[in-house]
Amino acid sequence: MAYNKPLPKINADTKEFWEGCKEHVIRVQKCGDCGLVRWPPSFICPQCHSRKTDWIASTGKGSVYTFVVNHIAYHPAFQEDLPYVVAIVELNEGPHLITNIVGCAPSEVRCDMPVEVVWDDITNEFSLPKFRPVL
Amino acid sequence: MYRMLTEIGGDAAAFGHFGATAGYALAARRAMHEFHTGPDTWKHIAVGQRRWANLNPRAVMHDKPMTYEEYYNARWLVEPFRLPDNCLVNDGGRACIITSVERARDLRHPLVTIAGMGQHNPSVDLQQATYLAGPTGARQAGETAFAMAGVTTRDIDACEIYDCFTYTVEITLQDYGFFGPGEGEEWFSGGTIEPEGRMPVNTSGGQLSEAYHMGLTPLTEGVMQLMGRCGERQLGPATNTKEPEIIVCSDNGGILQCHSCYILRRW
Repeated sequence: MAYNKPLPKINADTKEFWEGCKEHVIRVQKCGDCGLVRWPPSFICPQCHSRKTDWIASTGKGSVYTFVVNHIAYHPAFQEDLPYVVAIVELNEGPHLITNIVGCAPSEVRCDMPVEVVWDDITNEFSLPKFRPVL
Repeated sequence: MYRMLTEIGGDAAAFGHFGATAGYALAARRAMHEFHTGPDTWKHIAVGQRRWANLNPRAVMHDKPMTYEEYYNARWLVEPFRLPDNCLVNDGGRACIITSVERARDLRHPLVTIAGMGQHNPSVDLQQATYLAGPTGARQAGETAFAMAGVTTRDIDACEIYDCFTYTVEITLQDYGFFGPGEGEEWFSGGTIEPEGRMPVNTSGGQLSEAYHMGLTPLTEGVMQLMGRCGERQLGPATNTKEPEIIVCSDNGGILQCHSCYILRRW
């Protein structure tokens, strides 16, 4: 069956990130001057305004900063997933990502719980970085 | 609507994250982790405001009383928020006329002045925000407005707080200094914010139970209360509360990204 959920929209800022995901690597930006590791991607550092930017690979490990359990499908394609967890995960490198927690019951998710990336290859073009508890 | 949900939120839609309920629920969940709060606190806000709406014939929920039990039995939308933690969706309109004191003196309604105002906009994207459990923009905006008016929380007779969700009321009052982090449940208990309470909050029913008119729901109610135009829900002898001289109002935007605070004073 065709994938019917909303797909990411690639733009000049996010291209590197989504291409990394296709290779199962989370890439985030690091400022070439002040060293701030940042997300979302931008051509200028929000902390020191430098334009020197490197892309670094995240270890894919982090912790749950906060999360919710969706009991309503605002988009019909998510109906089959209810109840599902949307979380903000803090990567060990610093940036926060909005994502899903999978691999455990919604009632088992806790803030600050250690998690690691697990890849959901949704189409030939896109893999979504989701996270599961570290056992 | 579909376009709004999938295009404004960037790539969050790919993970099934949509809309303000989920955004504020993320904030509220972090707050539950950082200090004592949750549905046991928020039920006092949902039920307390409903009691005001029951006195307001224009309120959407005027003829729908709500008990704590009904609050707990309501369905989850985005946990930790149940349906009554959410504001209403409605049509309607509100207007507020601002003019000089000199001009207002010649008009037939009593005069209400803006004694202080403050604004603070943390403006960080929801994903990267680390102030979701406070201090939010309400802290700085409140300090500015209270200082300009020369008042403290002890001088406030009632609060009209932007209440897109129950948690927004709690974190705003907490950041204004009415109680410390985690003290909300105790502060709200015993009908504090209700008719006959010692600190009435959202006396029209607010956006949870009267009507959603963005920041004008709290602002116009504050003005109307100080003018004495609120009928059955009027602060003072009609509701066994203090006759109001000073009311604090708030407005808030994004997912706690911007905040405005106003101190209104009867002339």
